[in-house]
Amino acid sequence: MLKSKTFVKKTRAGGVMKIVREHYLRDDIWCGSEICAECKQESAVLQTDASIESDLCSYPHYVIPDTNVVLHQIDVLEDPVIRNVIILQTVLQEVRHRSAPVYKRLKDIIHEQEKHFYTFTNEHHRETFIEREPGESANDSNDRAIRVAAKWYSQHLKKAESEADGLKVVLLTNDQGNKQKAEESGLLVYRFEEYIKSLLGNPELVDRLALSNDDKHDITSSKVLFPEHLHLSRIQAGIKSGTFLQGTFRASRDNYLEATVFVQGEGEDSTEVLIQGLQNLNRAVYQDLVAVQLLPRSQWVAPSSVVLQDEGAAKDDNEEDKEEEDEEKSLRISAAAEAARKPTGQIVGIIKRNWRPFCGMLNLSQIKESTRHLFTPADRRIPRIRIETRQASTLAGQRIMVAIDGWPKHSRYPNGHFVRSLGNAGDKETEQEVLLLEHDIPHQAFSQAVLSFLPKMPWAITPEDMGRREDLRLLTVCSVDPPGCTDIDDALHCRELDNGNLEVGVHIADVSHFIRPGNAMDKEAASRGTTVYLCGKRIDMVPELLSSNLCSLRSNVERLAFSCIWEMNHKAEIIKTRFTKSVIKSKASLTYAEAQMMIDDSTKNDDITKSLRGLNKLAKVLKRKRIEKGALTLSSLEVRFHIDSETHDPIDLQTKELMETNSMVEEFMLLANISVARKIYDEFPDCAMLRKHPAPPPSNYDILLKAAKSKDVEIHTDSAKALADSLDVARVDGFPYFNTLLRILATRCMMQAVYFCSGMDSDFHHYGLASAIYTHFTSPIRRYADIIVHRLLAVAIAADSTYPDLMDKQKQSALSINLNYRHKMSQYAQRASVAFHTQLFFKSRGILNEEGFVLFVRKNAIIVLIPKFGLEGTVFFDAKDKAGPNLHFDEEGPTLKVEQHTFHIFDMVKVTISLDASNIQHQKIRMSLIEPVISGVSVPAPDVEPLAKKPKLDR
Amino acid sequence: MVCGNMAGLELLSDQGYRLDGRKASELRKVQARMGVFAQADGSAYLEQGNTKALAVVYGPHEIRGSRSWIRHDRAVINCQYSMATFSTAERKRRPHGDRKSTEMSLHLKQTFEAAVMTQLYPRSQIDIYVKILQSDGGNYSVCVNAATLAVIDAGIPMRDYVCACSVGFVDETPLADLCYAEESGGVSSLALALLPRGGQIALLQMDARLHQDHLDALIEAAMTACKGVGKVLDEVVRLHLKEVSVLTGE
Amino acid sequence: MAADMRLPTIQKPVSLSVSAFDRKDLVVPGDVITSDTGFMRGHGTYVDDDKLTASVAGEVQRVDKLICVRPLKTRFNGEVGDVVVGRVTEVQQKRWKVETNSRLDSILLLSSVNLPGGELRRRSAEDELTMREYLQEGDLISAEVQSVFSDGALSMHTRSLKYGKLGQGVLVQLSPSLIKRQKTHFHNLPCGASIILGNNGFVWLYPTPEQQEEEAGGFYTNLEPVGLSDREVISRLRNCLLALAAHKVLLYDTSVLYCYESSVHHQVKDILKPEVMEEIVMLTQQKLLEQEG
Repeated sequence: MLKSKTFVKKTRAGGVMKIVREHYLRDDIWCGSEICAECKQESAVLQTDASIESDLCSYPHYVIPDTNVVLHQIDVLEDPVIRNVIILQTVLQEVRHRSAPVYKRLKDIIHEQEKHFYTFTNEHHRETFIEREPGESANDSNDRAIRVAAKWYSQHLKKAESEADGLKVVLLTNDQGNKQKAEESGLLVYRFEEYIKSLLGNPELVDRLALSNDDKHDITSSKVLFPEHLHLSRIQAGIKSGTFLQGTFRASRDNYLEATVFVQGEGEDSTEVLIQGLQNLNRAVYQDLVAVQLLPRSQWVAPSSVVLQDEGAAKDDNEEDKEEEDEEKSLRISAAAEAARKPTGQIVGIIKRNWRPFCGMLNLSQIKESTRHLFTPADRRIPRIRIETRQASTLAGQRIMVAIDGWPKHSRYPNGHFVRSLGNAGDKETEQEVLLLEHDIPHQAFSQAVLSFLPKMPWAITPEDMGRREDLRLLTVCSVDPPGCTDIDDALHCRELDNGNLEVGVHIADVSHFIRPGNAMDKEAASRGTTVYLCGKRIDMVPELLSSNLCSLRSNVERLAFSCIWEMNHKAEIIKTRFTKSVIKSKASLTYAEAQMMIDDSTKNDDITKSLRGLNKLAKVLKRKRIEKGALTLSSLEVRFHIDSETHDPIDLQTKELMETNSMVEEFMLLANISVARKIYDEFPDCAMLRKHPAPPPSNYDILLKAAKSKDVEIHTDSAKALADSLDVARVDGFPYFNTLLRILATRCMMQAVYFCSGMDSDFHHYGLASAIYTHFTSPIRRYADIIVHRLLAVAIAADSTYPDLMDKQKQSALSINLNYRHKMSQYAQRASVAFHTQLFFKSRGILNEEGFVLFVRKNAIIVLIPKFGLEGTVFFDAKDKAGPNLHFDEEGPTLKVEQHTFHIFDMVKVTISLDASNIQHQKIRMSLIEPVISGVSVPAPDVEPLAKKPKLDR
Repeated sequence: MVCGNMAGLELLSDQGYRLDGRKASELRKVQARMGVFAQADGSAYLEQGNTKALAVVYGPHEIRGSRSWIRHDRAVINCQYSMATFSTAERKRRPHGDRKSTEMSLHLKQTFEAAVMTQLYPRSQIDIYVKILQSDGGNYSVCVNAATLAVIDAGIPMRDYVCACSVGFVDETPLADLCYAEESGGVSSLALALLPRGGQIALLQMDARLHQDHLDALIEAAMTACKGVGKVLDEVVRLHLKEVSVLTGE
Repeated sequence: MAADMRLPTIQKPVSLSVSAFDRKDLVVPGDVITSDTGFMRGHGTYVDDDKLTASVAGEVQRVDKLICVRPLKTRFNGEVGDVVVGRVTEVQQKRWKVETNSRLDSILLLSSVNLPGGELRRRSAEDELTMREYLQEGDLISAEVQSVFSDGALSMHTRSLKYGKLGQGVLVQLSPSLIKRQKTHFHNLPCGASIILGNNGFVWLYPTPEQQEEEAGGFYTNLEPVGLSDREVISRLRNCLLALAAHKVLLYDTSVLYCYESSVHHQVKDILKPEVMEEIVMLTQQKLLEQEG
């Protein structure tokens, strides 16, 4: 331990506050280089053999980047080629200050051992500390600190030179002044671009260079396209005085000229401001934090229902402008006619950019030699980005990632640079990767740090575990799951007790036994939040050893479980509930169908069957009771692909079939969840992790009510019970599918169910299940919330000890926000994956003619549901290339009159389905109308290719 | 987990350095002098980093003021804590007897009642006055340490030194001897006064929330830190002792 | 008037000889002196776990089986026969309370003073009423310790003509440990002033009385103005005392006198300047060594 001189730093903030801080300088900060014999470091990070092929630096060297280089060129620094880099504390601090995402990435790089990035704490090193001189700006002072540290390194390494041949340090900076001063003091210094371009082995790195300011000018025309953004200080003043509003920019998915800014007010009071037109959008990008100025009321417009996509290929800017003007005009005219106007505004400044690397594809420039190309992101809410690359021909047809560098006011598009390629578009692997990236799903392989917390194999239950747990191995426990399920997290049993009552047990995999709070595995699982199921792929929340083996309650192996055991009478009334950690040995892993067959097969009379029958009987009673209380049974079409086992291509798709046993398992899971929720809430009123499903606001039901009314059916939405009852009786003669359609619509009216911490909220009600309290307990293998609930329950029954974060309601709340986000994203990803596979399916099947129902009516389109495939598609009535038919939209219906025919919700139509591969990035299912026949709109029914195999199910 | 104090200062860097360049368990530089006033029975000046305190001890002496204070079996300890107007970044008049200093006075009193052998001086009174001249975190600890030296200087018998140190908890790591920037950075901290040789705790004070599981580790770290402080105080006392005894020429 | 002001400076470190570091007899609170149970526990020690432990910082002294630690600086621990100088703080029934730098105020019983009008006289109730006429709050007295109470308070008497109320002079309060025990603590110094070196660290400087008159019970004070030269001598002595005390030199008539002599080259007001102080004390110490040698 060494204490050096005390330095005093003075900073003045505001009035005359004088802050005096100590600053200790040390002698024990090591250089981190392998060749250094002087420093007593335990493990050197920087290698002796630090050579990289470069025609600027032919000698081995370490690189010291300055702050701006790190901030702007992090994409390049992340490349595995760039190694042996010294990150100075000064740089790290400044990066932390200026950009949290870059800081995080930088830290990730530093942690990666193969990258050999070393953090040098220069500001506390006795020889590299500098004091800010009077009159020196903070930036200059930092630059000087960087130079001093670089100088120190070059001298320090010189001392050790005998062992390594001429190891040098190279300072990289893009600041002209800094570079000059560094050269004066005899340092090796290059501009970052210069250095990267000199690297012989890796020319593709050049593409990833972010454009620096001086490069940007020559790209764009001199014409100023956008109003200037206001300075941050003026924005802040404006927000304070109320002239500007601050909010999150949300671009519209359907219309690139329209967006809303979500202004978070106090409490519930938040508003949305509509933004229309390129000028008003003023270079804001999805998710940016922006400042908006409201337009005078007379200029307010209504959101247009027009679907408008920025389809233009890379044309000249001018040409595009014209087209856009037209588009904008049409938009305005249509908007002006509307009565329902919304607050409209224009963006005056950007408070914080929220750019991330975007997935997408390159639109090649029409000029062959050009190195500048437009990039179209997969997410339609993101504008196209102009990048510079020399490998355009290779990248064409590939899915790539691009980061935005900036958006100057005279450029139609933001400027960016290439980050990496994901693979060929249309490849299943690539598309899956895109899907995962776009939905922000952590999908990398588990790191060594995480895997190190796995139990050592071969694993067995220890006598200590046995002693602390209840031995339930003799019970006839079995599991019922969908076919092919390897992560079995629940198992059931039911037996008759001597007093005539029934004992029912739900046994859940004891994941919290393996995942201890706070370790790397726990943190990883908490961050992933949920296992993501895509078609043909599962992204695990916990490593496979746990998810498919040690935690999975497979048959005929001893497994640790967390059991919830009830004593019930034959009316399914709970007499006693208890929870215990246990050891079970499942007697059978059944599929729903197998279980159903066993129940139905009257010849079978073994223990498992008896147990199942008991469960089934109780489940029916439970379900009836639940529905009486007002639980909703809603419908959403879920499809399942039959995937070819070799090519992994979907060969057939079917809507999921529901059997009695599905609902049997579901009932007991619900019951267990509710019982556990009560228990943990009783024990921890402040920090129980619960799940709620808020009642939707009445306005959500508008669409449902209107739709029902069109068929003269009345739906009551005053309560869940009323809704459930009226849905049950809603029938239209000769339209058997009507009820299902209504339920599908009702589902769309619902709110998202969310996790929350009981100490932070007062409304616990679960609307859909009609339960006063609810949580998730039964799937700890695939949901992190369940792990938390397991831990809480374990503490409640004194089977485990607590830890701080578990009892901290702020942290719980933050965790549930993440879990909700992950959950939502995983659902989106799942849907996207289904959509992609649907496309693959239709690609293989060619053109199909199917019957469908109109689900929604839009201004220029109808949305059609094909029940057979659970597929939803849009039939557009206007097309860009030809004059559209006469459209008349009536919002009240809502109905759309196309020429002579009026479309209502639930109308049956016949469409032809084909894959539109004209845009490889957004391949889509195209639907065209066949029936009713409207001249100029509908198309003649094409010949359908004969099918090799007839889809066997029709509902 | 997603949370973390990204917004504020980074109290502990990945390299293990704190804001001022110390490592987690390192104390600030402690400097002290005993016998700074001739008139008082005992006095000491102590700097712990930028926190500076002056302690003065009078007594034991006849109880002044109300006779009801008299204890027939021991001496009464009277502590008074105050902060100089210029001690913080913001210049502020600090009237005597505000809530904070009354509380601090009480804590000091409790601390020293545990260490001073008051039973040797029945019916008398010992005054300990401490003033913070500059405040940069750990005021309580610095006061205790300064007062210990002053009590020793006054020749008042104590079982042992009383050493105090504050410890905070950041990123699962206990940080010893917090400075103001750390204290105000939302760290849950505790202050511990220790009789280092026997390891008895004279006072333990904590206002922030901390999970029980971490308490032991934190107290352990605080005790180590206190022992570190104790070592420094010991050196100061021995040096003082030698200087004075050399002067008296024996 | 020009005033000499300077910033506080760090005292020059005293050069410590090697032997000083090795001194085993210096202990600090909590140091274990011996774990041998055969010793007796004296002042400044306590027994903890059968170990004799120091409770103060100071020097270990052993008398046969008795072990004490004498702190460098402490309040006055009075012993019978000590000469003290003190200030009356309270007049109670039949007794005065006197602040003597002791742990508790010392007590001067009405019966322990010589009252005017004869040595042997019964104390009447009337005397109790007129106590304040003899000595009142704030008066300085010299006295001798008669006995020590169980709680450590001192009982004093002034039953000698040398003790009693003090008149004009200067009080210097120093650490009791600096006062050297001697046969007499009353000195008429040849430089023209007198000194009472109270064992409690209170030193009284006063002009040497013209003649050793029979004072009436020691309650008479001479209020004649004191001449300038006497005042100057007294001032010089006071500063000398402070200088010696600052350098921890033991105080007794010779040391004070030598110091006085060494200081005559300097003005009285300069004596307390650190460099002058150092010079004077050095000279004094040399003289003392010479005298001893």
